[in-house]
Amino acid sequence: MAFQSKQSMTSSNDRTDAAQGIEGVLLANRDRIVRFLLARGAGDAAEDLFQDLWMRLTDRPAGPIADPLPYVMRAANNLMLDRYRSARQSALRDQAWGETAATHAPSAEIALISREQLALVEAAIAGSGERAARIFRRFRVDGANQRDIASEMGVSLSTVEADLRKVYAMLAALRRQFDAS
Amino acid sequence: MRPDIDSIEARAIDWLIRQRDPAFDDWDGFTDWLGEDPDHAAIYDTVASLDQDLGALPPAVKPMAATVPTTPLRASRRGWFGGAMAAALVAVVGLSTLNPFGSADRIETAAGEQRTIELADGSRIEINGGSVVEIDKDRPRFARLESGEAMFHVVHRDNDPFVVETGGNRIVDLGTAFNVVRRERQTSVAVSEGIVLYNPDRDKVRLVAGKAIEVRDNDRKAPVVQDVDVASIGGWRSGLLVYNGAPLAVVAEDLKRTAGMDVRIAPVAADLSFRGALIIDKNRGRTIADLAALSGTKAQRQGDGWILTR
Repeated sequence: MAFQSKQSMTSSNDRTDAAQGIEGVLLANRDRIVRFLLARGAGDAAEDLFQDLWMRLTDRPAGPIADPLPYVMRAANNLMLDRYRSARQSALRDQAWGETAATHAPSAEIALISREQLALVEAAIAGSGERAARIFRRFRVDGANQRDIASEMGVSLSTVEADLRKVYAMLAALRRQFDAS
Repeated sequence: MRPDIDSIEARAIDWLIRQRDPAFDDWDGFTDWLGEDPDHAAIYDTVASLDQDLGALPPAVKPMAATVPTTPLRASRRGWFGGAMAAALVAVVGLSTLNPFGSADRIETAAGEQRTIELADGSRIEINGGSVVEIDKDRPRFARLESGEAMFHVVHRDNDPFVVETGGNRIVDLGTAFNVVRRERQTSVAVSEGIVLYNPDRDKVRLVAGKAIEVRDNDRKAPVVQDVDVASIGGWRSGLLVYNGAPLAVVAEDLKRTAGMDVRIAPVAADLSFRGALIIDKNRGRTIADLAALSGTKAQRQGDGWILTR
């Protein structure tokens, strides 16, 4: 019991420190972050989105962060991606496109491709060649890093990178076909 | 316009790949790239959004049954996932003379028209467009692929092998699933389940699931066994054609058979090969546009069809 209460006190302190640390990073890098949001397509909403980002990062219980600026920039990038996906979801729902669009409320959490399309994506990955498919799955599905993949498969880092590019490019082209149909 | 978009997309993909590394910290470089052109952010969004959807991919390569949609959007896609296939045993591909036909039924599909026939023993033949298959009521364990392409799902019966004949070759099948293409003077066999022995009297090539051969009629050497992805075998059935470096002429032939599309390849483009996945879209123009963009060719209307040039 004593241990538990000590534990929770410690983490609460950490959280406060982390939040203060994040606030400090947000304030110190305000211009840089707003510039990023603008470049990322925020337009007139850039200042509002900076506030959204602030809320997101200071609300969220987070442990100590080793390198706060990249963490903040990644969060800003994710915020913009969520925004894009929400807009996309609304547009798709309006078009009554696909089963996800027809049956779900808009949310950034919801997949924008149907299960059927995902099955086609899987088939396309598998069809990209045995080595490329394996490298891609290790990277994207298992979350392995490129260096580990290269050593476990006995290929060069540049081979891993080239295969990843190839499969992503193929999937992007496939995605365009989904959108057009 | 299009090559431009492709190169932006390639850069966006590079950023995405780098950013998946938790240690990525070149956000200033990324900002600079985004600032170069408003299109960069828009294209990055589409690629990053696609990447996020890939989070739904199952962790390991599973049998296709694991990804069967319960309600496919299009009936034509249903075939992709097949049904429960017969337990695989051994199939034998052999050379023989043509057998005389008695009460043969001739099934001929128009280009773009696909049919599935169920045989009395429960075996199933999925016939692609532009193909001719003959079956014989008096010989329930026999079929002949005269031309074109078909996927065979054969129910095993001890001591009663199923025989498929094509181009003078005999495929003696004891319970397996495989795709056969009979092109001009060429036979291709790709096995998705079971084992096939090709010309046991002569070449003695053993094909297990995931292996394929392409044999020209006048080949003297034994065929080279190639790896082929099981998921892409018979892809025509779902309207998804996957290629890993195929001559454009082969792609054109497949499009003719599968979708009834007339695609000619100009001599200047004849040497190009195609790599990628092609969806047979209801709007055929989209499919052609995709093929052109992915193969680095230009598509022009020609009569009822198209011609690909460089």
